[in-house]
Formats: sequence, structure tokens, C-alpha cells
Amino acid sequence: MKLTRRAFIQATAATGGLLASGCATQPVTSAMVVRNAKSAGPAKGEWVATCCQGCTQWCAIKIFVQNGRAVRVRGNENSKTNHGRTCPRGHMIPQQLYSPDRIKVPMKRTNPAKGRGVDPRWVPITWDEALDTVADKMLELRKNGEAHKFVYIRGRYSSTATGLLYGALPRIYGSTNYFSHSAICAEAEKMGPGLTQGFYGYRDYDLGKTNCLVAWGCDPVSSNREVPNTIHHLPGILKRGTVIAVDPRLTNVAAKAHEWLPLKPGTDGALAGAIAHVILTEGLWNREFVGDFKDGRNLFVAGKAVDEAAFAEKETFGLVKWWNIELKDKTPAWAEKETLIPAAQTIRVARAMGKAAPKVCVWMGPGVGMNPRGTYASMAVHALNGLLGSIDVEGGVLQTAGGVPIGAFPKSDAYLDDVAKGAGKFKKLDGRGEKDMPAMMNARPGSGVVTNNIANGMLKDPGACKVLMASWCNFNFSCTGADRWDRALAKVPFFVYMATDPSEMAQFADIVLPSTFNAAEGLSVITNTGNLHGYATIQQPVGRRLWDVKQEETEVVWLLAEKLRNKGFPNLYDYLAKEFKDPETGKLPTNDREFSEIAAKISSAPIWNAKEAPKGDPQIKGWAEFRKRGMWSGPNYSFKRGWGGKFNTPTKKFEFYSEAAKKGLEEHAKKFNTTVDDIMTVTGYMARGELAFVPHYEPPKRHGSAAEYPFDFIDYKSRLNREGRSANLAWYHEFKKVDPGDVSWDDVLKMNPADGRKLNLKTGDMVKVTSPIGSMTVKLRLWEGLRPGTVAKCYGQGHWAYGRVAAKDYAKATPRGSNNNEILVDDYDRLSGSTARNGGFTGVRIEKA
Amino acid sequence: MSRLGMVIDLQKCVGCGACALACKAENNTRTRAKGQSHNWADFMMRTEGTFPKVTHWVLPVLCNHCADAPCVAACPVTPKAMFKTPEGITMHNDELCIGCRACQNACPYSRGELDDASLNGETYSVISFNPFGEDPQPQWADKAAIIPGCTASGAETAMKAGAATPMLNQFVAGDVDVVRKAGVVEKCTFCYHRTSNGMQPACVEVCPSKARIFGDQEDANSEIARVLKAEKSFRIQEDRGTKPNVHYVGKYSARA
Repeated sequence: MKLTRRAFIQATAATGGLLASGCATQPVTSAMVVRNAKSAGPAKGEWVATCCQGCTQWCAIKIFVQNGRAVRVRGNENSKTNHGRTCPRGHMIPQQLYSPDRIKVPMKRTNPAKGRGVDPRWVPITWDEALDTVADKMLELRKNGEAHKFVYIRGRYSSTATGLLYGALPRIYGSTNYFSHSAICAEAEKMGPGLTQGFYGYRDYDLGKTNCLVAWGCDPVSSNREVPNTIHHLPGILKRGTVIAVDPRLTNVAAKAHEWLPLKPGTDGALAGAIAHVILTEGLWNREFVGDFKDGRNLFVAGKAVDEAAFAEKETFGLVKWWNIELKDKTPAWAEKETLIPAAQTIRVARAMGKAAPKVCVWMGPGVGMNPRGTYASMAVHALNGLLGSIDVEGGVLQTAGGVPIGAFPKSDAYLDDVAKGAGKFKKLDGRGEKDMPAMMNARPGSGVVTNNIANGMLKDPGACKVLMASWCNFNFSCTGADRWDRALAKVPFFVYMATDPSEMAQFADIVLPSTFNAAEGLSVITNTGNLHGYATIQQPVGRRLWDVKQEETEVVWLLAEKLRNKGFPNLYDYLAKEFKDPETGKLPTNDREFSEIAAKISSAPIWNAKEAPKGDPQIKGWAEFRKRGMWSGPNYSFKRGWGGKFNTPTKKFEFYSEAAKKGLEEHAKKFNTTVDDIMTVTGYMARGELAFVPHYEPPKRHGSAAEYPFDFIDYKSRLNREGRSANLAWYHEFKKVDPGDVSWDDVLKMNPADGRKLNLKTGDMVKVTSPIGSMTVKLRLWEGLRPGTVAKCYGQGHWAYGRVAAKDYAKATPRGSNNNEILVDDYDRLSGSTARNGGFTGVRIEKA
Repeated sequence: MSRLGMVIDLQKCVGCGACALACKAENNTRTRAKGQSHNWADFMMRTEGTFPKVTHWVLPVLCNHCADAPCVAACPVTPKAMFKTPEGITMHNDELCIGCRACQNACPYSRGELDDASLNGETYSVISFNPFGEDPQPQWADKAAIIPGCTASGAETAMKAGAATPMLNQFVAGDVDVVRKAGVVEKCTFCYHRTSNGMQPACVEVCPSKARIFGDQEDANSEIARVLKAEKSFRIQEDRGTKPNVHYVGKYSARA
């Protein structure tokens, strides 16, 4: 019998299906049939350069465009940082761009009641009406002498985001209440390199040459930074050297590594101290960087103080002080009691690091510092790079490469009226610089943003924020103690929100302005560093805009400036219209789109419009070529920048005894007419005396007693996270299993099977997770990749208003999964202003639901 | 005659998922439903041992393009919808396919219906089936908007984009359609529309650790042949005697 598609469909219609009917029609089968395939061909289109921004690396990428549609993604082949390939996040861009829940038009709330689960009763409005309303509200504040009650919060970076919406708009309007989201992410980790070597930034790593990678409190093949670069180099490091992972959870890099140190959360400072102790007592430090004992005999003996005069330091300062104050008793056996890592493993790892020195990368991530005493853990872990001499050397730990000339926007001073000039006298809403919140980024008290504390400021003084503008952020979901934001936002009299899709924060807005999805629709210039090169990449529209959306940081700024001018406040418009000259033609902008392009051209002009070619990639000649090539990389990193007494610290050396911390803390104490010890007390650190000035171990601060809340809660990020904006994508859920221990289309809590046995819980059980501030009900998965006494759940799900996939039911505000931020307490590493989210700072108890 | 195949180096693989995502984009595969993953590239993964002596491995999986392919043998139609090409690809023709799923039943690497075990990497299916009488891309046919008048819908997005799916990769179809219709099976073609034109399969091209090598095993000078000669390799379920052409080298974990 000859079976064809038509005959089969007819047959199945009659019998209810071949398989179901038990093969009533016995198929005729035979062996291999070989024949030529029909001719086929690849899709035709073009690759357009842009920038991913699915994490903080901001990779230069290209998107394949067919008939004006974004189809596929790859790394920009010119990139020295991603080697022409992206991590999984990049591939999700088209799905994010074509979210079926994109906001198509500006919308207005018609229900004045605000709250979780309250329908805002959105109605569509025109851009004209929307911006008229925003301008009216802003000018009303100015008229009443309350310009400082205009608050802006941002959630993304670019030259235009920083210079315009976050820069020119609040500055010329007259408010200093503009805030970045950075302190909910990773600011505490900057304190380690900052207070030791004077570099308050994210480190780069010479992964191509290193012989030892220590991934500490991060999973750099999945998240943090440089993911494609790390994936690219990891096999080589595994082959020629040692890979060590420090994390209580079996991360992806821990799965690959030679050594996994699943320490008790929050004890990183103890482990770092013990490793430093072994490096010193066994004489494994790097002589070229650190120096040596004058007579060559190692006096670092456990428990014994050393005479400072006996050691001659080279590029460092305070090694012996550090030993005497902190390290001499911090033996691996001592640390075992804190970290639960066997002393033998600590010793083995310290020796491996010492053997590889100086070609060692101690790569510190948010797991180390983003906890209530994180600054000191961050210092302790980074100081290992100092001991090993891996600072700024081949195969070691590097600073921002720089060398990428970016054009500054014109000065706006002339456009500041008295209101704007006087804005500085008002206190910022985030409490920075208060006695209990030194926030001393760059060792300058009061200079760091305390993002998550804004909600507390708003709740404390409900009149302090009268007009709120926010873009690309979602703080009542993404900040710990999320419900505080719900309450704070509900009290804001007027809130204008700008984003691509609905969100929890949008639910509290009065007006929502639909943004371009900037990785594929925006226009700006993004700079970053990775793999020994600084680079600048274009971010530009790759295809057609499907909706009536506008880029918030350029087009909306222009259109809003026009409205403000029409209503009697011309300063912002005049600044934009009179100062922003096209670097090629000298023309001034006449509309939002022209302005947007001129702003991007000004930012990037030094790369493609310079008389003398900047050092680095071959010169790019003209704007069109820059857009086509998409990126430009600066020269190779020059090593040993801070060596020879050029570190940006008070002593100009790498400070194991931090004169920078001392200076900052003493300045802060003086402001409040008190002592550093008192500041330590009110900010919740345990150090007293000189200990406050050296890297050291602080026992973890924990909300919830061990008796009542026995488990340390571990929050982590998915490698499919896309800066927290991918929860509405089917592909995020479909491949969630690529996060070890996780289950696709689910949001499971992981627990060690030994704990499961004790609590009589099994995989698949629904459990209630309760912290001192809240609870959530989730599915349990027993998993060996986790230390007993801890439970872990990925951040990112539990959205109740983020779209049809992210929320189980948007209309009913029913979430899919659970949001960790509803059980995590809002607390801070107060020296940096960072939000705590790691280090087991919130205890939980687990019960069968 | 050539014998196309693939080697995946597990020492290089970090289980990131880029290959599977690029595959979905390149081949326009729909989202999982009704026990069908529609993942032509997928993963197995497992955590083994007892804390703290724990290892975790990931194994990328795809159609093995077996030399003695049970799916081809099982295909009951004449001429066969599932067949071998002279290059060694196990190819599928959508026009001839009757949707009987005999191939899916016969394939050692496929399941007629995936259960929850596939969601944590215990099971997978390299052949998926598009049910009869259903829209093969239902999310783009959905007309519902969560905020009517203000937010888009799947159908409106596809309509505005001007394609069956907004991100459609409109390649030149041969045996396999750009979007498979209802009532046919689907699986990896080694990106025939690309590889027959001198390009690499999408999963190979995008792998950030270059863990995948695609090529002709009969060509002694090819990278795949050299790697297979130099390194110890294995294939999944080799004992079934189907002569798979996807090989694995290296260890996923340095501690295994």
C-alpha cells in the first residue's frame, strides 16, 4: 500500500489517529533511503551594528535584519571583548523587541486609586496630551518654589541617558533629586579596589594570560560582566591552570572548576583572611609588588606580631600593620569554624593561587560585597590580588582600560536660572551622607547613591516627592523590601513612567510614555571595557518601529523641552536647540529625531571626526562608517599603571592599611562631631579602632534569629536575565534549566536533600518561605548543589504586572512564581550605600504549604 | 560520499544555552506545548554526588543524523518523508510527511510526549510534532491585548512586522518549510539551508566557547576528522547501533 499525506489524513479522520488506534494500518517501512535534498538557501538581509545591554557589559553586537524586521543576533565581529559571539542573553533581543505586550501609545490612568492589584483603568492618549500634562505638573512645582520635589530615577546607561535625561533635564529644571539604580546592583564591590588601590570601578581581567581564575561570589560564565569573553577563555585556563569557585551555590563556573568552595554565606572575609594568612606564613606573596623582609627571613608566624620596620614594602603600604591588626590569628583552622570550608582545602587553594602568582585573577562579584558589612569583605577579597602582585600585570587584574575618546555635551551653565542654581542646597532624598549612611564612594562621604533608601525617604516625608519621573526601572519589584516601594509610589501625587512594557512600577503611574526598546530601536553611544580594551559602540535602530514609541532620553527630552518652552520655561529647549551642533555639518536640531542623531554624533565624534586618529583600531572616517562598523576599540591595556607610586590613594601605594578609609571615615565622623567608632556602631559594622581601616572579617549581619529562621536565603541571577527584563519571554522560561538546579517553566526553591529529610520535605512539595518581613509559597526542589542550612531561589520571577508570560494573570495581578524581594529585608552596606541582597543576611524558615 | 557530523567539546561547553536559542531563531521553532518541546537543539543536565562532593554536567543534544537512522526506516510513506541525503544528513520533507509520528516513536532520542522530566534536563526529544488542526505559531495568532487599546497583541505585532512571526527568519525553503504546518514532524537539518551554501549551522556559529565543530568526517583534513582521531569520543546510546554522527569529546567538569 502506498501511504501518502492525503490518504493518511483521511484514514486518521476515520479512525482517530494511527497511533491512537494501535496502528490499524500497518505502515510499510524499509531501510535507509538516500536522495538529494531539495535546494535551499539562507535568509537574505543585512547585519546592523548595535549594542546589547542585556547585562552591564554592553556588548557590541549585530542584528540580522530582513525586510525591516530584527531576526537574529551575533557579536560584532570587530569586538575584542566578545570575539564576535554573544552569550545567551543577546539571542533573546528579537523576542524582547517583539514582546506582544509592548506599550503602543502613551496611556493615562483614569482610576485615582493606586495599589497592587488595583486596575489603573488605562486609556490611550496622544503624545501631545501626555507631555502637556507632564510639563504642567513640572512647572506647577517650579511656580511654587518646589522644583527640588521633582525626582527622577533612571534604570539604564548611555551617553545620552547620562547627559540628558539624567543630566541636563534635572540640572536646568532645578532638582538634585535624580538617582541612578547602580546601588541595588553591585556598588559595594567597588569599595574593595577603591579603598585599597584607589580604583572605584569594575575590574577587567587578563583571562587570556592568567593561570589561576578565582571566581568569588559571582558566576562570570553566566552573569556579572564579560560573559562571552570568560566563556571564550575558560577552556584555556582550565587546561593550563587552576579554576577556583567560591560560592555557597553550585554555579556554572563551580560546575566547571577544579575547586569549589561552598562557604557559609557572608563569611567571605574569613576565607580571604585565611588565604592571606597562608600566603604570608608560607611565603607565597609576590616580592616584586609587595617587597620582602629586610633580612629575607619570613617572620609571618601564626599568632606572632611582626615589627613593621623588619619589612621593606615596594608598591604597597601597611602590610605588617594588616598582619598585626587582622591576619596573624586568622589561620585556616580558625576560618573553618566560620566558613565551614575544611582548612586543608583553604590551604590547597592558597598554595595554588601563590604558585600562579602574579598571573592570578581574583574575580570578586556581588556575592562578596552586597551585604550589610560588605565593604570590608570586598576589601579582604581584593587585597588578595595585592598580596599576589596581580594588580595591573599580565595575567592579572586590571582597571578600566579607557582610551576611548567620547565627546562631551555642551556646557549648560548659561541656561541655569536662580532656581536651578539654588537646587544644591536641598538634601537628597536617598539619605546619603547622613550619620548612619556614609555612602563614601571614592572615600568621599555622601557621594554614593543609596537607591533603595529613596523609598524610605519618600515614606518618611510624603511631601518630599511631588512629581516623580522614572525610566527603565521597576523598583517595587527589583528592590529588596519591595512593598515599601508600593506604599511610597502610591503616595506620589504625579508619576510619569517611561518603559517599553507594562510593569509593577507602571501600575502606580499617572502617565506612561512608551519607550523605544533601545538595543534595537534607540540611538546612542555606549562605552565599556573588557579583555584589555576600552571600546565605544553605537546603539541604533535596526529596523522599523512598529509602535508610537519615543526614545525617552533624547526624543522625549526634546519634546518635553518644547512643551516647557511653550508654557514659559524656555531654558532647557534653548540649551538643546542652540548648543547641540552637528559635528559634521554645524547644523542645529529642529525636531526630536534630528536632536537624537546630533546627540549621538557629538558623543562619538572624537572617534570618527578627529583630525588626528585616536590610538587603537584603524581610524573610522565619518559618521556613516561608524554606524556601519558599529564600534571602535582603544589600544591594548598598558600594564602597571599604578606601580611606581602612582596609585590613586593617599599614600600613592596599594593600601593594605587603608589611609583612604581612614580619611573618609574621619571626615564623616567629624561632620557629626563624633568618633569613627561611633560611626561604626550606628552603621552596624563590628570593627572598632584600627580594624576599621584594614581589610578584615566581619561576622555576617542577619535579620531573623537562627532559632526562628534557621535557613540562610541565597538570591542569585539567571544567566538569561537580560538586566531583569526577560521574565516575559517564553525563551527565558523554556531554558531556565540552564541555571543549575533550576527547572524550566517553574521557579523552584532549592534545598539540600539532607535538610529535606530532616523536615520531611521532598521535591515537588509546595513550601512556604517565611522571613521576618514576608512570605512566599514556592515549589521545592531538593538539590545537592547547595550547602545544608541554606536555601536558594533565583531572582526574576514573581511578576504580577509584567506581561502575559511573566504574570500568570495580568488582569488579576496574579504572579507567575515568586519575588525574592518580597521576603528580603531592605538593609545596606552603609559605607557604600549598596543594597544588601547576598551573604545570607535574611534568615528564613521553610514549612510545608 | 561525505559524512557530515558534529563534535561537541564538553570541556569547552558551559551549558549557556546560546546554541539552542540561536537554533530557535534560525529555524523559527515555536514555543513548547502539549508535550512537544520544538527544541531542535536542547540539553540534558544532571547534578551528581553528595554535598560537598558534587559535580554537575550538561550535555547539548540534537538530532544525531544517524547513519542507520531508525526514523528513516520507520517512515511509512512512499517516497519517504524522512530520508538520508548523500551528505549524510537525516532530512525531512514537510510535503510528504503524513504526521503519523512513526519516526518519533522509532528514534532513540525522541519521545512522543515529553513530561515534566524534560523541564529539568532528564529527558528530551529531537523530533517534535506539530499537532493536526492547530495554528503552528499560536502566540502570533493571539489577538488578546492585556491593556486593550494601549498594549499590542501577538497577532497585531506579527501583522505590523509583516510576517508570520515578527522575527521570522525567512530562509529559502527546500524540503523543510520556513514555518512548519500542522500535522508534520520537525527536527534539526544541520541547518541545511545554510550548510549547503558554505555556512556553518547556527548552533556552531554562535557558540561563545567554540565547543561545536561541524564538518565531513570522511575528509581526513577536516577539523572534525582530526579531533575525532586525536581525542577520545563517545556518542549517545551508541549501543542502539544507529551509528550517530554527533560525537562528544572532553569532560564537562574538571572534578569529574
